[in-house]
Amino acid sequence: MTSESYKRMQFFFEVLIGGLLAGVMYSLVALGFVLIYKASGVFNFAQGAMVFFAALTTVGFISMGAPFWLAVALALAAMVALAFFTERLVLRPLVNQPQITLFMATIGLSFFIEGIAQLTWGAQVHALDLGIADEPIDWLMNNTGMNISKFDLVASGIAAALVAVLAVFFNKTRTGRALRAVADDHQAALAVGISLQKIWVIVWMVAGFVALVTGLLWGARNGVQFALTFLALKALPVLILGGFESIAGAIVGGLIVGASEKLAEVYVGPHVGGGIESWFPYVLALAFLLVRPEGLFGERRIDRV
Amino acid sequence: MTKDRKFGAALLEIDDISLAFGGVVALQGVSFDVREHEIRAIIGPNGAGKSSMLNVINGVYHPQRGTVAFKGRKRRDVNPHEAAKEGIARTFQNIALFRGMTVLDNIMTGRNLKMKANFLQQAVYWGAARREELEHRAKVETVIDFLEIQHIRKTPVGRLPYGLQKRVELARALAAEPELLLLDEPMAGMNLEEKQDMSRFILDVNDQMGTSIVLIEHDMSVVMDLSDRVVVLDYGRKIADGTPDEVRNNKDVIDAYLGVAH
Repeated sequence: MTSESYKRMQFFFEVLIGGLLAGVMYSLVALGFVLIYKASGVFNFAQGAMVFFAALTTVGFISMGAPFWLAVALALAAMVALAFFTERLVLRPLVNQPQITLFMATIGLSFFIEGIAQLTWGAQVHALDLGIADEPIDWLMNNTGMNISKFDLVASGIAAALVAVLAVFFNKTRTGRALRAVADDHQAALAVGISLQKIWVIVWMVAGFVALVTGLLWGARNGVQFALTFLALKALPVLILGGFESIAGAIVGGLIVGASEKLAEVYVGPHVGGGIESWFPYVLALAFLLVRPEGLFGERRIDRV
Repeated sequence: MTKDRKFGAALLEIDDISLAFGGVVALQGVSFDVREHEIRAIIGPNGAGKSSMLNVINGVYHPQRGTVAFKGRKRRDVNPHEAAKEGIARTFQNIALFRGMTVLDNIMTGRNLKMKANFLQQAVYWGAARREELEHRAKVETVIDFLEIQHIRKTPVGRLPYGLQKRVELARALAAEPELLLLDEPMAGMNLEEKQDMSRFILDVNDQMGTSIVLIEHDMSVVMDLSDRVVVLDYGRKIADGTPDEVRNNKDVIDAYLGVAH
């Protein structure tokens, strides 16, 4: 192999791996959506706001002098409180309403959460240091010449662990089973003694926890700022690709979006004037909708007519 | 067929229940009771209020008038999941299984109320949560053996034929070890062989587990064979109540079913 083509290969893999690692971060955002969609059929527009709220609360407590882990614990407590609050004041009064009503309610909720977050902690951008340096991994740099960020790798590891825990929780435990049952058939779930209200609190708590982890990782990378709420929009193509009700879909969808947008930016971008990273995933999702509207891992709905 | 068997005290007492949806009257002053260890059938023409009655017992509908007493305790406006806690399990006319889940998982949801491990233990699937899971799995296996569905344990429910789905739904209800089992048309849409199997299971449940059963059924020969006493509803009113033989010869019942010249 000539050194020229070796360089090209090396560069391709560098972009690909960087994209995949960024994709894991997208997966994390999408995961929060999937959890709530699975259990209640609601597209929770407020997930982005929850990510912002969780990150800002953590940083806020840190700036008040709390040690890191205490701040995280307090932020988690805030997310739990938010779950109870949401179930009691938003979901319960709207039970049996059409999905679009609940969707609209979550839009309102997102404004509310954003407002509360900034009212409490202020609107300026905060830095968050998780103690993981965002610098190339020396070993990879020396041996393969690829520039892969240490931070991205650790973040992916954390995301992978979170997904593993959630997978076991969903498949092996009573509450996980109850969550899936509620997602499948409300009436039947009630008849076997599953309390919808309890399940909703739990699923919003879990989504809140995921939002916290997401917020910490994204916040450490880009700064804790209002822009975190727009992550919700980045999750959309991930969900369309992977399917709205599949955890595996969120992962694979995130990886596809991450890798393809980086590759497109590097290889297609120069020919069309660049900057395609920001819209490429949406075009990809649109194309995907035409071929497989339920997503890669979504359930194909077959209706009896 | 008559059964020599001692029935216990009244387990469920329905007193003067009236239920209306807006101007549509579904039930009007219906009273009857179900004794321990009894198989009680509710029959009647379409729209007579049979399923509404079941939904009142199970807490899906809340009647405007009248009381339901279960195990001697009068109650008003319970939710279905509270009724489940009291010991009432049910199946649905149009099967309400969790279609994406396996047979085993579906039946395990029936054990939901009996499992106690807390949320944190479950989150890490450790200690009590794991032990409990295995313990209840064993219970579920006995139900699976009982209903002879070992071979489909791991199959997603959506892929099963109709007759087997009905059986899985019964299994899920039984997994809760209910005192009262409500069956809404357990044999609807089944062929003769499936009906015979289902009849046998219902009798076995009643016999071996001592479960009281309220069932809605259209097939008269099934009703006459299975039930100890029959309630007949027509246009939301009770028109007859008694043993299968008494009901069969009741003039009002014959009129309701065959129509009467005005």
